[in-house]
Amino acid sequence: MAGQALNGPRWQHWLARLWLVAAGMLMLLPFWYLLVFASHDSASIFNLPPPMLPGRQFANNIATLSATPFWSALGNSLYVTCVGTVLSLAVSALTGFALAVYRFAGQRMLVALALLAMLLPPFMTVLPYFFWVNQLGWVDQFRAAYMPAAVSGMGVLLMRQHIAQGIPQALLDAARIDGCNEWQLFVRIALPLCKPALATLAVICFIATWNSFLLPLVVLPSPEHYTVHVALRAMQGASGGDWGGVMAGALLAIVPTLIVLALATRQWRSVLAGNGMHEH
Amino acid sequence: MSGTRWAPYLFAAPFFVLFLLFVAVPFAGSLWLAFQHGDAVAGLAGLRPAGWQNFRFAWHDPLFWASLANTLVLTLLAGIPQHVLALALAWAIYTRLGRLSGLAGFVCMLPYVTSSIAIALVFMTLFSNEFGLLNQMLARLGLGTVDWLHDAHWIKFSIALLVIWRYTGWNTVLYLTALQNLPPHLLDAATLDGATGWRRFRSVVLPQLRPMLLLGGTLTLIGGCQLFDEAFILAPDGGTTQSALTTSLYIYRLAFINGDMGSAAAMAWLLLVSTVTLIVALNLLGKERAWPGRH
Amino acid sequence: MNTQHRLRPVLAACTFFLLSAVHAGQVLTVAVFPKLDEAVKLALPAWQKLHPDVRINLATLGYADHHNRLVTQLAGKSGVPDLVGIEANYLGRFKAAGVLTDLTAPPYLAARLRPLFVHYAFEQATTGKAIYALPADIGPGTLFYRKDVLDRAGLREADLTTSWEGMLAAGRKLKAATGQYLLANAHDMKNLYLRANTAEGEGIYFDHNGRPAVTSARFIKAFELARTVRKEGLDARVTPWTNEWTAMLRSGKVATVPSGSWFAGQLESWAAPNTGGQWRAAPLPAQRNAAWGGSFYAIPAQAANKQLAWEFMQLLSADSKIQLAAWQAPALQAFPALNSAMQDAYVDAPMPFFGGQPARKLWRNAAQATPATRLDRNDPLAEEQVNAALDAVLFNDKDIRAALADAQKQIELRLRQ
Repeated sequence: MAGQALNGPRWQHWLARLWLVAAGMLMLLPFWYLLVFASHDSASIFNLPPPMLPGRQFANNIATLSATPFWSALGNSLYVTCVGTVLSLAVSALTGFALAVYRFAGQRMLVALALLAMLLPPFMTVLPYFFWVNQLGWVDQFRAAYMPAAVSGMGVLLMRQHIAQGIPQALLDAARIDGCNEWQLFVRIALPLCKPALATLAVICFIATWNSFLLPLVVLPSPEHYTVHVALRAMQGASGGDWGGVMAGALLAIVPTLIVLALATRQWRSVLAGNGMHEH
Repeated sequence: MSGTRWAPYLFAAPFFVLFLLFVAVPFAGSLWLAFQHGDAVAGLAGLRPAGWQNFRFAWHDPLFWASLANTLVLTLLAGIPQHVLALALAWAIYTRLGRLSGLAGFVCMLPYVTSSIAIALVFMTLFSNEFGLLNQMLARLGLGTVDWLHDAHWIKFSIALLVIWRYTGWNTVLYLTALQNLPPHLLDAATLDGATGWRRFRSVVLPQLRPMLLLGGTLTLIGGCQLFDEAFILAPDGGTTQSALTTSLYIYRLAFINGDMGSAAAMAWLLLVSTVTLIVALNLLGKERAWPGRH
Repeated sequence: MNTQHRLRPVLAACTFFLLSAVHAGQVLTVAVFPKLDEAVKLALPAWQKLHPDVRINLATLGYADHHNRLVTQLAGKSGVPDLVGIEANYLGRFKAAGVLTDLTAPPYLAARLRPLFVHYAFEQATTGKAIYALPADIGPGTLFYRKDVLDRAGLREADLTTSWEGMLAAGRKLKAATGQYLLANAHDMKNLYLRANTAEGEGIYFDHNGRPAVTSARFIKAFELARTVRKEGLDARVTPWTNEWTAMLRSGKVATVPSGSWFAGQLESWAAPNTGGQWRAAPLPAQRNAAWGGSFYAIPAQAANKQLAWEFMQLLSADSKIQLAAWQAPALQAFPALNSAMQDAYVDAPMPFFGGQPARKLWRNAAQATPATRLDRNDPLAEEQVNAALDAVLFNDKDIRAALADAQKQIELRLRQ
C-alpha cells in the first residue's frame, strides 16, 4: 500500500517535493554526463570547463568502438552474466526451499555458510581462486567467471525468508495428500509464489556479475574472452585511448542492467523488506 | 515419509557442492596463504611457510593501522548520512509519490548500476581544483575553494560523498519496500490520534523499521569495511600522507604491486575479524531499548 | 649496423626449417601496456615480411591492469602470452619469481647481445649470469626546468646543477625573486637524491647483497634535503600526476621536474602542451646520472611459441631501424637502448619544445654514464615504507634517523623468512 494521504501544512508539501526533485536530479546528474561525454570526441571531453550538453559525435564514437572487440565483449558479458544469474537463481531457490520447508540435521550450519559467503571481501579470494581455477584447467574459460556468481549467500537467505513467510505449511501438506512429491511441491507451488523474490535476486546477481572487473580480468586473459568492462578498460589503456568511444561504450554497457532493472521493479515490491532477512 | 527425510539434502546439495568448490576452497586458500610467504607471480611453487610472520608484520605495521582507522572513519562518514538521507527520501517517496514510486525506485538504483569508469570521469570533473563544478560554485558563493582531492582531510569527505551518492538510492529502495510492507492500519490509527508529520514518522514508523535499519546498517558496515572502488577512483595512490588508504586498497597494493601475498591474506583476515566484531556490536546495540516509541 | 643480419645465421641454424614450414598460420600473442603497443605496431610491417603466416595478436591493457594480470598469468598453465612487456618497476619481481625464460641458454644465447645495448639497461635485465629480458626503451634521468622562470630570478642552469646545496640556494632565490616553487613536492627531492646517488650494483633501497639500506647516509641526506625544501617552502606541496600539478607546470609555478627523458613526450603532448620553447633539460645535479624508468621485453617460461617470440623480440629490441623508428615516432619518442640507434644523427636534432636544445644528446651521454643499479623484487615494499617515513618527518616532525630506523625495521620484518 503506497501513498498515504497527507494532511500536513502546505509548506511541508512543497519542501518534500523540492527534496524529491533535488535528490532525483543528483542521482541523474552523472547519468546525464555519461550521455554528454558519449556524444563528444576525446578532445572536447577534456576541455575546461567540460561540455554540459550532448554533442554530435555519438555515431562516430560508436564507429570507433566497433573497430575494437567491444561488441564481442558485450556478447561475452551477456553470456557470463545470464548463465551466472540463472544458476544463482536455481541454486538459491532450491536451497532456500530446503531451509524453509524442512527440518534437518546440518540446517543451522548451512545458514551459517550462506552468511559466511556474504561476508567475504570478493577480491580477498581472487588470488587463491585463480590458483584453484588454474589447477582445474579452467583459465580462459567462461565457466571460471560465472561459477562463483552461482553461489550467493544473500540469495539463499532471501529465498528462505520469502518461502518461509509466503508459503504456509498447510498448503504444502495438502498438496502432499493430493499426491505431489517433494520435487513437484517445489516446482508447482514454491516457484510460482517466489517470483518477486526471484526478480529481486535476479537484479542483484545480474548487476554484481555484469559489473565485476577483477575476476574476469584475471581468469579470462585472451582478448576474445574479454568481458565488457575489461574491454572498456583496455580501450582506455591503449595509447591514444579514445575517451569518446570509451564513454559511448560505458553508456551501452549499462543498457542491459537498465532493462533488467526495469523488468524487475514491477515485481520486487515488498520483497527485500518486511519479510527481510533480519531473523537469523 | 522417506521423501521428506532425503529431500532437503538433495535440494541443498547443489549449493553445498558449489559452495565447497567456489567459496570454501578459495576461502581456505586465503587462510592458508596468510601463513605463507611469497609472490603470486611465482604461483604456488614460490610459497614458503611463514608461521605467524605475516600477522606479526601486520601488527607492527603503522600503515595497516592507519588504513583501518581510515576505513572506519570513511564508513561512518559515508554510512550515517547515507541512511538519514535514504530514510528521508523513502518517506517522501512513500507519502508523496504514490503510483510513481516504482519509477522513483528505478531512478534510485541508477547510481548503483552506472559503471565505475563513467563515475570516475564525472566525479573527477566535479572535484577538480581549478575547474571543478564544486569549486566554481563555492567561488561564486564567495567561499574559498577546497582542494577536494589532495588535502589530507578533504579527500575523506570527497570519497564519502561519492559513496553516499552511489548507495543512498539503494538504501532508499530498501526502506521503501519496508514502508510498503507496513500494515496500513498502523498509519491510519496514528493519523486519527492526531500524530502528523515528524511525530508520526518518529513514534510510529521508525520503530517499525528497526529490523530494516539493522539490516541496512549491517550491509553498509560490510560494504564500508570492504571499501575499495570509490577510494581507488579518487585516490588510487592512497592520497596525501595516505589519508585515503583504506584497508582493502592496502591489501590490494600488497598482493598485486608489492607481491606480498601472505601479508595481504593475513590483513584480509584481520579485516574480516574486525568486520564481524563490528556487525555483532551493531546488532547488540540494535537489540537494546535505545529506540523511541512504543511496542 | 643492422643486428638482424648478424643474428640471422645463428638463428637459421636452429629455426629456419621450423619457421618456414611448421609455423604456418600460427598466432603470436604479445601482451603490452601503452605506449609499447605503438612500438609493436611499428614493427608489424617488418614482421609480416619475415613471417607472412604468423599473425601478431596484440593484447594491450593499461599500465596497472597489464601488470596485475601478469601477476597471475605468468604462473598459469594456459593463456600465457608468448611475449610480454614489463616496466622497470616490476622487472625485479618478475625476474625473482622464475617465470621468465633465461635467455643465456641455446637457442637464444643472448649474452652475445650485451655489447649492443647501453650498459645499465642490459644489466638491469639480468640476475647474476641469467638474462631474463631485453631492453625496449630507457629513461635516463634528467632535470627539466623552466628557462623563462629561471631568467626572471636571474638564475642560470649551472646554479641548479652544480651541487645539491646549490640547488637549494637556487630554490631560495627563485622563491624570493618570483614566488615560484623549485619543486612540486618534497618527495621529488628525496627521490631525485636517492636515485642519483645509487652506485653500480646497488639497489635504490637495498645494498649489493639485497639487505635493506634505508638507514644509510644516502637516505639521511635525501631526507634532510627534502625536509629543508618543505620547511623553507620551496615545494608547491602538490601530488605529481594530478590536475593541480599539470596546472602548475603550465603556469610556471613549479620551475623544475626531475624525471626520465620520457617525460619530455608527456610534457609536450598533454601535461603542458602550450609551454613550448620555455623548457630546457639539464643533467642531474652534482654530475650524477640515474636510471629513471624504462621498459623491457621478456618471454614467459610457460610461453608456447618461444622460438617465434625470440625472433620478434629481437626485431623489436635489437633492430636499429625499428628502434630508430620508435624513437622518431612523435606519439612514442621511445629513447632507444640500442647503441647503434643512439649513434644516429637524430641525436643532434634540435628539439623545438626545448627552445631548439638538442636534448637527446644530453640524454644519450647520461645514459652511457649511468651506473647499473639493481632492481630488487622488494623495491615497491621498501618504497612504500620510505614514503611513509618521509611523511612522518614532513607532517609530524619525526626525527629523520628514528623514522628511517622504523622503516628499516618494517622492511626487515617483512623480509625475514
